[in-house]
Amino acid sequence: MRQTISQQLMFAQTLSAALETLINQFLRYNLHGTRALKPLSEKTLTVKLAELSFPLSFSVSDEKIHVTTNDEHYNCCLITSISTLIELKKEQQLTDLIKNDKLDIQGDLKVAQRFADIAQTLDIDWQSELAKRIGDVPTYKIGLLGRQLLNKLSFAAKQIPADASEWLVHEKRLIITAAELSYFSRDVEHTEQQTADLNQRINQLINRISKLS
Amino acid sequence: MLINLKKYGKLTVILFYGETMMSAHDQNHPVNNDNSDESTTHFGFQTVEKNEKESKVASVFHSVAQQYDVMNDLMSFGIHRLWKRFTIDASGVRPGNKVLDLAGGTGDLTAKFSQLVGREGKVILADINSSMLNVGRDKLRDRGLVQNIEYVQANAQYLPFEDNTFDVITIAFGLRNVTDKDMALRSMYRVLKPGGRLLVLEFSKPEHELVNKAYDFYSFNILPKMGALVAKDGDSYQYLAESIRMHPDQETLKTMMDAAGFEQTSFKNLTGGVVALHKGYKF
Repeated sequence: MRQTISQQLMFAQTLSAALETLINQFLRYNLHGTRALKPLSEKTLTVKLAELSFPLSFSVSDEKIHVTTNDEHYNCCLITSISTLIELKKEQQLTDLIKNDKLDIQGDLKVAQRFADIAQTLDIDWQSELAKRIGDVPTYKIGLLGRQLLNKLSFAAKQIPADASEWLVHEKRLIITAAELSYFSRDVEHTEQQTADLNQRINQLINRISKLS
Repeated sequence: MLINLKKYGKLTVILFYGETMMSAHDQNHPVNNDNSDESTTHFGFQTVEKNEKESKVASVFHSVAQQYDVMNDLMSFGIHRLWKRFTIDASGVRPGNKVLDLAGGTGDLTAKFSQLVGREGKVILADINSSMLNVGRDKLRDRGLVQNIEYVQANAQYLPFEDNTFDVITIAFGLRNVTDKDMALRSMYRVLKPGGRLLVLEFSKPEHELVNKAYDFYSFNILPKMGALVAKDGDSYQYLAESIRMHPDQETLKTMMDAAGFEQTSFKNLTGGVVALHKGYKF
């Protein structure tokens, strides 16, 4: 039985190990501690994503989350895609997503909601954690640098599309504006109307000539 | 047959130092369990008296116990963690289960199982070697894993448990060191609950000839040197390489599991067949 390269390289196990480490590190640094995990003790949430060929199960025990790729036992199972998972942040969309077959939920929905609550209430003081390791001054400088970088990135994120649009529409005239498209559509509609009127007029004249002859 | 009473951790365990009958095989044709000579068995590529093997294997593991985890990481470049994770994923273990981690050594699988079975569940870390068990127990206690783990020094051929006890049994990188593998598999079958599953994670035969050759070169030239350098014991790692070649290949082990009574047996090759995970159920 041949296995795919992803199976041979054990991508599923690598991903689950990485996720498990990441999640538990986040929980370790969470200002609210791991108290939120207690109601979920020994509960399992399984997520089957369209983009992945294997499931991911998140089980809680001893103030830790274990990630496995086994879906034999779960309390709640979400069958969806990554993009839908992002949309799930808005609770009011839940019904629409289920109706549109973008999401299937099996088992106890409360378990999934509690996992989502934990993710939303994560509060990590990165600066304090970093300062413990590298000291206050380097942390301050890294923080300052990070903020400056973020500001620049945010500015660039707005400016680059604006500049590109300006260049394409006005300088090179490769793309027309929405207003121009609207005017063009209105003119086409007007011409269409005039043509229809003219057509009707011609038909009337032909009828009249045929009656006279 | 020797009978030895040992007090270990929470349990008193009766160890039957079992006899076995296995023949040595051509090093280029690692297979199986044919018993052509009743008085001898193999220890790596050597043919030894059957009653010598256990003490020889024991001395190997007494020698490497302290450096076992470091060497595992070094030898496998850390991939053994993924192989073990694959085993955990395949176990389907759930809260409340009773798990036997046979030849559990330094407790990598036990640590994870202990957390997954929860307070109502139980994990038995069993190993024939006291040094390995000591290292495993210290490691797990240092990690705060104490509440649902028991330690048992036991021979896989004569498991000191009642029939139908465990939901899951795993034996990771241990079966090839067992003197009578068929007997051990039958013993595991006996203590497994109906509906339970056995997982055997073990070195196996690489699928591609090129990988096989590279693997041979690595095993017989680099591995013993690495062992000599880090664990100060090249001979034990020479035995490791030899014992891997003498272990039954994928299909043979599957047949042995069938013969022991397991049903729906299957195996998955990992890392090109360097390691294989065999799975079988008791119904």
